[in-house]
Amino acid sequence: MLYDLGRADLRIKWLVTCLLATLGVSYVFGALMVSLYAGFTPGRVAATYAGRAMSMAMPPETTMVMEHPMSMDQFATPEVHEVDTDLLIQDTHVHVPMYGVIAAALSLVVVGLSLSQGWALALITLLFAAPWLDFAGMWLTKFVSGRFATVTLIGGWAMGLGYLVVTALAIHQMWFRRRGVVR
Amino acid sequence: MNLLLRGAAIAAVLHITPAVVLVKRPDAVRALLPGADSYLAREVHLSDPDAHRLHELVDWSPEDGVLTFYRGQAGATGVGALTFVRVDTPHGPIEVAVGFTPQGAVRGVIVTKATVEMKPWVLEAVGAGLVERYRALKPGDVPAGAAALGRGHVGNLAGYIAGEVDKGVARALAAYGTFYAVRNAGA
Repeated sequence: MLYDLGRADLRIKWLVTCLLATLGVSYVFGALMVSLYAGFTPGRVAATYAGRAMSMAMPPETTMVMEHPMSMDQFATPEVHEVDTDLLIQDTHVHVPMYGVIAAALSLVVVGLSLSQGWALALITLLFAAPWLDFAGMWLTKFVSGRFATVTLIGGWAMGLGYLVVTALAIHQMWFRRRGVVR
Repeated sequence: MNLLLRGAAIAAVLHITPAVVLVKRPDAVRALLPGADSYLAREVHLSDPDAHRLHELVDWSPEDGVLTFYRGQAGATGVGALTFVRVDTPHGPIEVAVGFTPQGAVRGVIVTKATVEMKPWVLEAVGAGLVERYRALKPGDVPAGAAALGRGHVGNLAGYIAGEVDKGVARALAAYGTFYAVRNAGA
């Protein structure tokens, strides 16, 4: 095959290394952002995406007023960051194209690796399936059941796993495998 | 590859930056309900007709159809009420806290949250005196902070964000006038 990262020009190897490093930084900060706004447990993810919609999906027939005392401590309690339908539409619109671009970039790296066709196809599928699972989980959590928060978590971890596998293979094959490559 | 690069550029331009807290809620509560030593949260779950009425007034529906007001009291005396309103913009959400006196006029407005991108715009608008423009407004009045700041006094982006804060104040005035003041005259 003409496109083989293990035997590629030094400039191509450097480009791919820089791309993977940059994506790695963005993944680390992506994980930090998730920890700030949604969390890594099914309960917190469900609270973020299901929100009050799960407990009160239908408006009352007549406007209802409920009152309860509030302490200053309650004002200080960190709020659950709730993502309502409008915001989820916006998030999906913004993130899915970017996830597609990242999956495509990582898939181009996969195509340049010395892997069997089966493994390459599996990795490419993982790279694209992960964001699908991530957002499918959010929508299902909002409109079907809070239990689908697990799907979002699986999607998020799958994105991280896909990135780590591709990066480990690429770095190994580009920089550490010895097979008479001109560097 | 060209398509990929274009896609990445578009996604980068459209990406919403993370939210930042400009003023913590307890600080906003202390500023807008001065002297209060007890608080009562009032959740108004809107029926479809009432939600429609509010939407007709200010082209807005509250999150999950629930308006939340916080009433402050100093002993047995009411010191007013406040509400937090979210305004979704193409650059992400901002949150505006609007406090009312017991007489139902705006006591103060505080922008409590924005995004990293919008924070400097908010600070510039607030520094130019934006929130002073809302003081003493009453339900039925039209907030015009953006127009009052005027072109030339602030940058375009600060002027833009002032328009978004106007929307938040207009929503708070409509919500307060329609669903709080009528049930709670003077509190």
